[in-house]
Amino acid sequence: MIDFGLLHLLMAFVGVVVGIVFGALPGMTATMAIAVFLPLTYAYDLHVSLFLLLGLYVGGISGGLVPAILVNIPGTPSSICTGFDGYPMAKRGEAVRALRIGITASLFGGLFSLLLLFLFTPPLARVALSFSSVEKFLIILFALSIIAALSKGNMVTGVFAGFLGVFFSLIGQFADNNKMRMVPDFLSVDLRNGFQLLPVLIGLFALVQILQEAEGGMRDDAMGADLSREVRGFRFSDFKGQVVNLFRSAFIGTFVGILPGVGGSAASLLSYSQAKNFSGRPEKYGTGCVDGLVASEAANNGLTGGALIPLLSLGIPGDSTTAVLVGAFMLQGVQVGPLFITNNLDLWHVILSALLLCNFLMFFVMFYPIKYIASVIKLPKYRIFPVIILLCVIGAYSSRNGNMFDVWTMLFFGLLGYFFVKIKLPIVPFLIGFILGKDLEKYFVDSIKGVGGSLSVFFTRPMGWVIWGLIVASIAWAVYDSKREARRAAAGNGGAQA
Amino acid sequence: MFRVSYKPSTSHWLFPPIILGILALLLAVMIAQRAIECRRKGRPFINREAMRFFEPGCDKLKLFGSVALFVLYIYAMEFAGFLASSIVVVFLYSVLFFGVDRLKELPAAIASGRPWANGAFKSVCVSLLLSVLFSTSVWFLFARVFKITLP
Repeated sequence: MIDFGLLHLLMAFVGVVVGIVFGALPGMTATMAIAVFLPLTYAYDLHVSLFLLLGLYVGGISGGLVPAILVNIPGTPSSICTGFDGYPMAKRGEAVRALRIGITASLFGGLFSLLLLFLFTPPLARVALSFSSVEKFLIILFALSIIAALSKGNMVTGVFAGFLGVFFSLIGQFADNNKMRMVPDFLSVDLRNGFQLLPVLIGLFALVQILQEAEGGMRDDAMGADLSREVRGFRFSDFKGQVVNLFRSAFIGTFVGILPGVGGSAASLLSYSQAKNFSGRPEKYGTGCVDGLVASEAANNGLTGGALIPLLSLGIPGDSTTAVLVGAFMLQGVQVGPLFITNNLDLWHVILSALLLCNFLMFFVMFYPIKYIASVIKLPKYRIFPVIILLCVIGAYSSRNGNMFDVWTMLFFGLLGYFFVKIKLPIVPFLIGFILGKDLEKYFVDSIKGVGGSLSVFFTRPMGWVIWGLIVASIAWAVYDSKREARRAAAGNGGAQA
Repeated sequence: MFRVSYKPSTSHWLFPPIILGILALLLAVMIAQRAIECRRKGRPFINREAMRFFEPGCDKLKLFGSVALFVLYIYAMEFAGFLASSIVVVFLYSVLFFGVDRLKELPAAIASGRPWANGAFKSVCVSLLLSVLFSTSVWFLFARVFKITLP
């Protein structure tokens, strides 16, 4: 029995609305919304907070379709393909129709992924319960190897960023013998427990974005499509012939969400390309075709439930947004991992109910008043970003109940993240490495201390061999895919030059 | 070779060197990859002309101003507290992001006797109003309603 009242409903509603606004504003993401609103979770228990945070998550992912369709600028990376067909539809006077098709496809994607989350997380967690520290170490290594597989064209750079994140997570006191390492004397008090997750992720996701926008001059993009001119309205019959596309796209989105570090843009692109490959009229894609719009939106909302599967069963965040959610759990003293459902059955039910409610709220909040919601993209950035900075400072300062060092940490990681962007070092693998780093070390040391330091312990258990197989397969795939991409790029350049 | 020396007293220095070793190895691979690519394409390994840190048309005033204001904000909170410093800094950020160069229009706008007709004057006034409104609302919400510790 879960506790549900008016406050839960209100928080979910606020989360969805604020999330949609964040998603609809280009340059602001669901990750940023959750990072900025994390301090509110101090005021409430985790149950109430989850309604807010999951509302922000669902709203943030869904809101991205608004600018993608109206001005051909994806509000979030996950709506990258939405504009391919949504914008041409808007230009020919079908903006509201396109928005409502996208919203309905988003609802389907969200509900489909929720069903898979409900079905697959408990059995996966049960398997993970039999894992010793050896398998846990290898699972984290596998998560890092997937980062490599998905850092297309810069596989080594992605792995480097992941291990750099691991390195940063090791700074501070080692829990086994309580000894400090890699900390200068004058920071020995502030860095006793290492860098705090919340300031690190606010710095990496909010400050970096603000610095990039500042570098670009904080220019606002003008409204493109005219919503008052409506040539053709929305009908649910628009989805006739889209059933296979809906299921395939939602499944692709959920599957991509399960893979750590991949992100919504890959879900959207993969689903769009598959829809085009299977379509009997691929030449229509990119000209305002409903199929393309449905594929992109069903996939990116499919991501929401998918990304929670590895988080709640293995303790591995599926994307940057769920990485921020780890912060929310940590702040409330809840450990995510194989024991999460067993130890927190009520919380598991809260997550499922909150996701279900937030998906329906997203639909009702967006579907009918979409004309008015669409106007949020007119909000000037120079008015919004100062307030975001204000909220970031509160978030960082309150992460340890009032510590100015954490605000400095946020600034440091903001500048570091900005530097990473400049040298093309991906931030998401860095953050995932940072989150998993301490566990990677813990399970490594736990594995070898019982066997006198012998590394052969990692090759003695059958389940370990299975995970090694997965690691080798993911690296082999990464190498093959990277070479294939390089060949395609070379062929493309050759063709262009010819 | 397939064994590491484990002692509880020094176990805190067991894992960091392994990670540093992996990072060094990956860095070497990255450098080698770049060297091979540059050689294949006939480009110099370090091409100073093609290397640029900032985007073309980078607004350095807004970029460095943002960082400087942030540092100022941290120090200001220590001395003046959260609310007062937030009002000032949010206003300064709004002006910075709107465009400092547009402040030049203000003396002429005031001298004309009809300052409201000038966009820059209006924007500065709105920024001031919003910075007071936002900062006070956020302070009230977090510090008073949710009882979250603020500087």
